[in-house]
Amino acid sequence: MNPWQVVSPAICGRRAAPSRLRGSISFKLRCGFAVFALLVAIGAASAQTDPGVRSSTGVNAGGPLPDLSTAAAKFFDNGETRFETPEVVSGGTNNGLGPRFNLNQCSTCHSQPAPGGSSPNINQYPFVSVNPESQVIKNGIAVSPPNSIPSFVLVNGPVREARFPFFIENGQVTKTADGGVHDLFTVQGRSDAGNCVLAPPNFAQAEQLNDIIFRIPTPVFGLGFMENIGETTLIDNFNSQIGNSFGISGAFNYNGNDGTISRFGWKAQNKSGLLFAGEAYNVEMGITNELFQNERPNPDEEHNFIGLPSSCLNLDGAGYPEDSTNFTATGPAIPSDIVAFGIFMRLLAQPTPQPQGYSTATTTVTAQSIARGLSGFTSVGCATCHTPTLETDPSSIDGDLSGKPANLYSDIEIHHMGGLADNVMQGTAGGDQFRTAPLWGVGQRIFFLHDGRAPDLLTAITDHCLPVATSGSEASQGSEACTVVTNFQNLPPTSGAANTVSQQDVLNFLRSL
Amino acid sequence: MATSSRLLAVFIASALLPLSAQSIVSSDSRPGVPNNPTPGSIPEGALLVKGATSSASDSETALPESGSVSNNTYTNRYFGLSFPLPADWIQKSPGPPPSDSGRYGLTLLTPAPALKGLAGGSILITAQDMFFTPDPLTHASDLVDFTKSHLQGDYKIEQEPSDAHIAGQRFISFGYGSPSTGLHWRILATEIRCHTLEFVFMNRDPQTLDRLVREANAIDLDSAVSTLSGAAQDDVPVCIKAYASAGNVIERVDPLFTEHRYNPVPVRIIVGKDGRIRHIHFLNAFPDQSKAVTEALNHWKFKPYIRDGKPVEVETGIMFGSRAPRLAALSNPTSVAAPAR
Ligand code: HEC
Ligand code: HEC
Repeated sequence: MNPWQVVSPAICGRRAAPSRLRGSISFKLRCGFAVFALLVAIGAASAQTDPGVRSSTGVNAGGPLPDLSTAAAKFFDNGETRFETPEVVSGGTNNGLGPRFNLNQCSTCHSQPAPGGSSPNINQYPFVSVNPESQVIKNGIAVSPPNSIPSFVLVNGPVREARFPFFIENGQVTKTADGGVHDLFTVQGRSDAGNCVLAPPNFAQAEQLNDIIFRIPTPVFGLGFMENIGETTLIDNFNSQIGNSFGISGAFNYNGNDGTISRFGWKAQNKSGLLFAGEAYNVEMGITNELFQNERPNPDEEHNFIGLPSSCLNLDGAGYPEDSTNFTATGPAIPSDIVAFGIFMRLLAQPTPQPQGYSTATTTVTAQSIARGLSGFTSVGCATCHTPTLETDPSSIDGDLSGKPANLYSDIEIHHMGGLADNVMQGTAGGDQFRTAPLWGVGQRIFFLHDGRAPDLLTAITDHCLPVATSGSEASQGSEACTVVTNFQNLPPTSGAANTVSQQDVLNFLRSL
Repeated sequence: MATSSRLLAVFIASALLPLSAQSIVSSDSRPGVPNNPTPGSIPEGALLVKGATSSASDSETALPESGSVSNNTYTNRYFGLSFPLPADWIQKSPGPPPSDSGRYGLTLLTPAPALKGLAGGSILITAQDMFFTPDPLTHASDLVDFTKSHLQGDYKIEQEPSDAHIAGQRFISFGYGSPSTGLHWRILATEIRCHTLEFVFMNRDPQTLDRLVREANAIDLDSAVSTLSGAAQDDVPVCIKAYASAGNVIERVDPLFTEHRYNPVPVRIIVGKDGRIRHIHFLNAFPDQSKAVTEALNHWKFKPYIRDGKPVEVETGIMFGSRAPRLAALSNPTSVAAPAR
């Protein structure tokens, strides 16, 4: 018998056992015993584990494209400054925040491991900050009452935005799909917010009714590469997946304006960086702009024809949109904020992988293990969705973006993901469909999957094949990734002397990205 | 959400080997990352917000995706298939919904969790509707060849595609393995009702793999269905690609799509002996699309299909809504750069 055929301690984990079993006394006993037996028998070293955030190689993301011209670099720097600038409601130099908002700055949500990234954590490299959403009252960005920190926003948890799958009326979940973002906070009570009176949503009720889902920030590194991968390249890649032995068959999400393949966001719901910047400025921060000109009520205020109270409109008195082109400025200061955000994101380099090896807070990983991990990643079928490399089209913007390999580890298709479903539809992506998450930069990420439910890479992988919820007589269906996850689980947890490719190697490889 | 079983595990692990506690227990107890309130799955009883999805004009006619496992057998009425699970195997997951390119992941089978050493392996049963593959891919052998020429990673062919006979039906048997990971695959592919039906066996252990493939001889195929690909029998229609062409359709009305949704809408129809459409199966369509197509197809009339002097039922596929896959792309599959090593 192979040593790894001992009952894996993972059986005691969150999802390895059917919930029916998990609470039972006999299961607890067996579970405890299995761990005990395993420790005694072969020692703890043989369990596969996420090595954690790569910390020995510095921060390997957040810089500009390598050969940026001096002129373009000025725009990049200017855009980065704006991306990192906090906004206020009125009376400052950057006005327009609210009346509803999630946070006051792009770079606080997008900060791990550098501006442009994802959700930070104070305890993990490079120790950026606690969850900034958890600090808004403490920092005076929002005032309590009426605001409070929702229960799903934790100091050491991920930044989250909230969506309600269905509208709630009279304390009941209706059958009308909502799906929109419900901002966490309002400007009421701030000294720069006049007499605005506006209550935040009742998140406790939504949680109690089980009518709330979350999204964490996706990093924007390499955004210019993703924008410039041509339709033909994506379609060719799609066609090359025909006949794969893993039962995988995705689809694209499309942009309603021009009918081309859309690519950004957890469901590939958005077409471009500029569009996302305009949307984020209004949705996350409440700042109207040249793409989204009107102050945004929460979805139920829109749905019920209520809108926002006039006491909360035009709070800085300068009219709409709150962000627009600066006609009297010069050079990189001329474009509006959203254009500057777009330029900054488009000129960000792709994260730099570290195939030569690295250390984390707890372990050191060798080049050999990373190389084995890459071959495991491909052979078990991860790479069929997580396409390692797609080539960009010629670029008019910068030579660095022109005909270059984008090592994004995504096919930009949406796939049915079974029990990961969040019941929100965006474009053609249904409630159980998600964009293959690009994996570049994953080596320095902390929270995983669309709602940040996975705190480590192993959980992220096993969650690709969660049991499927049934709804009455109607069974929803399985995940396209189950076969591949099973293949992965058929690798030994760790490589023995024979240097066989192991699950550990795959995890080590992922942390090299 | 911390279950007491996990607490127990944490306790034992940390008592014995404090340094390794993180690697032993589920890592949401890692310092600095407390349990996220896990959103968890959609609650039972909730309405499901589906995108494009499969549906059919009646609930009696068998569909490819409606197979199921019971009494240790995977049964699929559409394909006339019953596949006895190896001893102590279970369904790990039902398949995802049919895709808009006609792909079905019908079921994924693995050893029961309690027995699942890591050499447990899996069997995936999958189907590809050959009406909706790009043109050069017409038969099971084409699809197997395509798979063979698009193998990724370090795969090595272990068995060239060759003929096999199982349950009175012609299969193609094909095998490959990945030397670096030590995983081996064996594919048994056959053609039923103009679908390529594949049994994909995966295992670390070549002997177990051989045994499982041998046991697959216990597959039972209803000969009335399988010998098909030609001879319509009883209530199984004959399948003909692109049958809904000018010469065969006497009356047709195009569906009115009032919203351009960009997705392809693959539809399988069964034309009755009277030339009217008896059954419609939407592999993947939004509700407004299936409604529009149903309304249109109700007006279609075909020339009855005559075989041996008698009218027989015909099933065929029609792609509404959007483009057929591009052929050029298939002859040029290498535009994707290889991963940097
Ligand atoms: C409150 C936190 C928060 C703030 C503030 C925020 N974002 Fe985001 N960002 C998110 C979340 C959450 C997502 C994922 C949304 C989804 O797909 O559902 C996201 C996604 C994105 C993406 C998509 C990247 C990809 O590849 O998917 C871009 C681009 C982006 N944000 C840009 C910005 C810009 C520009 C700003 C400032 C105007 C900003 N964001 C402010 C939370 C935030
Ligand atoms: C069927 C396509 C598919 C396959 C196969 C697949 N993935 Fe994924 N992967 C996805 C999708 C879709 C997501 C996003 C899911 C979500 O956010 O809920 C994802 C997310 C991830 C994430 C989290 C990234 C993030 O930004 O949070 C990691 C890590 C990952 N995959 C690794 C793997 C590995 C390793 C394998 C192989 C064992 C694999 N995936 C196989 C589609 C796939």
